Amino acid sequence: MADLVTAGIDVGTGAVKAAIVCSTGVAKTTVLGTHRERLLRRDPGRVAELAYERACQAAGLTRKDVAYVASTGDGDAVAFRDGHFYGMTTHARGATFLLPGARSVADLGALHARVMVIDEQSRVRASRMTSQCASGTGQFIENIARYLGIRLEDVGPLSRSATRAEVCSGICAVLAETDVINMVSRGIPLSEIIRGIHESIAQRLAKLLRMVRAAGPVVLTGGLAADVGLSAEIERALDEDGGPKIEVAAHPLSVQAGALGAALWSAHRLRRLQARGPDAGYLSTPT
Amino acid sequence: MEAEAIVRRCEALYADLSLGSVREWKAAHPGRPAVGLLPVYVPREIVHAAGALPVSLLGGGDQIDIVKGDASFQSYICHLPRSMVELSLTGRLDALDGFVFPSTCDVIRNLSGIFQMTTRGKYIRYLDLPQAMDEGTGGAFYRRDLVALAAEIARLAGREAPGDEALAESIRRYDRNRRAIAALWAVRAGAPWLVALDETYLLMRAGAVLPVEAHTELVEAYTAAVAGRARKPEDRIRVVVVGAFCEQPPLGLLRTLERSGCYVVDDDLFLGARWVEGDVLALEEGRGSVAEESAAPVDGPKGGPHGPPGSDGGGDPYGALARAYIGKSLVASTRYQPDGRRGEDLVRRVRALKADGVVFAAPSFCDPALLDQPPLQKSLSEANIPFITFKYAENTGQFQSIREQAGTFSDSIKLWGEA
Repeated sequence: MADLVTAGIDVGTGAVKAAIVCSTGVAKTTVLGTHRERLLRRDPGRVAELAYERACQAAGLTRKDVAYVASTGDGDAVAFRDGHFYGMTTHARGATFLLPGARSVADLGALHARVMVIDEQSRVRASRMTSQCASGTGQFIENIARYLGIRLEDVGPLSRSATRAEVCSGICAVLAETDVINMVSRGIPLSEIIRGIHESIAQRLAKLLRMVRAAGPVVLTGGLAADVGLSAEIERALDEDGGPKIEVAAHPLSVQAGALGAALWSAHRLRRLQARGPDAGYLSTPT
Repeated sequence: MEAEAIVRRCEALYADLSLGSVREWKAAHPGRPAVGLLPVYVPREIVHAAGALPVSLLGGGDQIDIVKGDASFQSYICHLPRSMVELSLTGRLDALDGFVFPSTCDVIRNLSGIFQMTTRGKYIRYLDLPQAMDEGTGGAFYRRDLVALAAEIARLAGREAPGDEALAESIRRYDRNRRAIAALWAVRAGAPWLVALDETYLLMRAGAVLPVEAHTELVEAYTAAVAGRARKPEDRIRVVVVGAFCEQPPLGLLRTLERSGCYVVDDDLFLGARWVEGDVLALEEGRGSVAEESAAPVDGPKGGPHGPPGSDGGGDPYGALARAYIGKSLVASTRYQPDGRRGEDLVRRVRALKADGVVFAAPSFCDPALLDQPPLQKSLSEANIPFITFKYAENTGQFQSIREQAGTFSDSIKLWGEA
C-alpha cells in the first residue's frame, strides 16, 4: 500500500493543533510533525494557517506533499481544508492511535469536556458532555491560574504537591472563582486550592464516565490531558466512587489527539475515495 | 451585483419583521393592498393579478420574544402560530390589508379564526385546497374558489376581478420566477460549494416580501454571480433536508448543518415558493395554449370570471393554476396524496440528486411533517439510504445536539458508508 501523507487541524477555543502523519495502512502510521499554536485573541483562520505551516516545517514537508487536509473543531477557520470530521470522531481515533486498546475517551478542552465510549474501530458508541457552565474546562483553570499568579505548566505539579484539597464549588465557574478569592484571603496554600479545583472537575468527569458506562482504559485527550494534577484526581475520583476500576492514561501527544485523529481519518477517507476510482465523489470535483 | 451584496440585501429584508419593504411598495403604489399569505401554499399569481402585493408570512423566527402569542395556543402546538399572533398584536403586520390561510393543518385553520377576532376590519380568507386530486372534482372546486379569491382581493384594491389576460400575465411572471429558481437549484445540485444553504434560503425569503419581478431579477443576478465564484470544493456528504416546509428553522441551524460537513443539495424550506414544478403556462415558449396541455380540462366555470376560455388569448389561466395544483405540485406532506407515493418520490429525489442521505428536520409538534416521517423512513431504509432525524422550533437557539447529530452522520457516511 502506497504511503499517504495527510494532515489534521484541530481548531479549539484556546489553541489550534496541527498534525501531519504518514500512513501505509492502519497498522503502520508515523507522526511526521505536530504543532500547537495558542489563539491569544488572534483570528483563528490565521492561526490555523500558522499552525499548519509550522507542522509542515516540523515534518520537513511542504503543503504540496500533503494529500488531504481535514479540519476538526471549529473547521470553518480552515479555509484550505479538503474535509471536516466531527470532534468526537477525531478524538476517538486519536485516542486509539495513542493508546491501542483504549475503550473510553475523556476529551478535556478549553470550553467543554466530553466523555465517550468507543469500540475497537474507534467508533463512538456513547457520549456525554459537560453542561454549558465553564467550571469543568481548561479555560476555567487558565483563569484561576492567572488570578493566583501561577504559570499554567506549574498547575499540575503544584496540585500534586498538596497533601489535601480545599473543597471548591463544582457547579458554577463564577461561584468557584468567588470560593477561590475567599480561600486566598483565608490563607489557604495555593497547592491546596488548585487541588480542590482539580478534585471538583475530576468528580464531575468521573460521574460522566460512569453515566456512559465507560470501561478502561480511559484516554485523556485535549489541552487538559497534560495537566498531571487533574489526571491524578480523575483516577482518585474513579477509585473512590465505588464503581468498577477504570485505568486512566494520558500520552505526551494527547493534546494533539483531535488533530491526529483528523489526519488519520483523512488517510482512511482518501483511500476509500481512491478505491472507488477517480470519478467518484470528491476526487472528481474541479479544484 | 456581487453575490455577497445580494445576500446582504436579502438578510436585511429577512430581519425586517415590520415589513418595511411592503410599506415602501404601498407608498409607491397608492391604493393597492398587500395581502399576507400563510404557509405552505397559496397561489401568489391570484393576488398579483388582483392588483395586490402577495406577502408570504413565515413566522417571527428567532427574532421575536413571544409574550402575547403564547396565550392563544396550548403548549403542544408548534411555534409558528404563536409568533404570527405576536407579530400581529404588536403591529408588525399593520402594513397588510388581508390574510389568506390555506388548509395546511388544523393549527393554521385555527389561526385564521384568531386573526378574524384580533384583526378586525381586515380581509381574512380561508383557502380550502382540494383533496380530490382529479381535475373534474378537486380541480373544478379549486378553480371556482380561485375565481372567488381573485374577485375578493380585487375588491380590496378597488378593482374589477382580474380577467384571463391579467391572470395569464401574472402567471407568466411567476413562471419566469420559477425558472430562475430552478436554474439556481441546478447550480446547487451541480456545484453546491458555490452556493451556501443560508444564502439560497435568504434569497428565497426575499421573495416573500418583494414583488415577483424584483425577486426574479435578484435570483437571476445571484445565480450569475455565484457561477464566477472561486470557491474550493470540499469533501462533504450531500444531503436532502425534509420536513421544514412551514415553520422555518433559524439561520443558525441551517449554517450548523453545512458546518457539520454536509452540502444541502435540496430542501423543502419555504416550499410554497417552489410549489409548482415547471411552468404553469407554456405560452411564452410557444408550446400552445393551456387548453392543449390537458386532454381533460378542468370542469367548472370557464374563461375566468368574464368569459369563455381562450377568449383573450390567455387560455384558461384559472384552470391552469388548478391543473398545476393537481398535477404539477411538489410532493409535500400538506398536500393530500391518495396513492402513497411520497416515499418513492423521496427515494427518487435522493437518487436523482446523488445525495448520500436525508436529514429529517421537522418543527416540534408539526403533525404533517412528523406523521409522514415513519413511512418516508421506511422507504429510505428499504432503499438503503441513511437518514437522521431531529426537531426544532423557529426560535431554537442551541445547536450543539444538531451539530453532533449532523457531524457524526456525515462522518459515518464518509468513513464507513457508501459515499
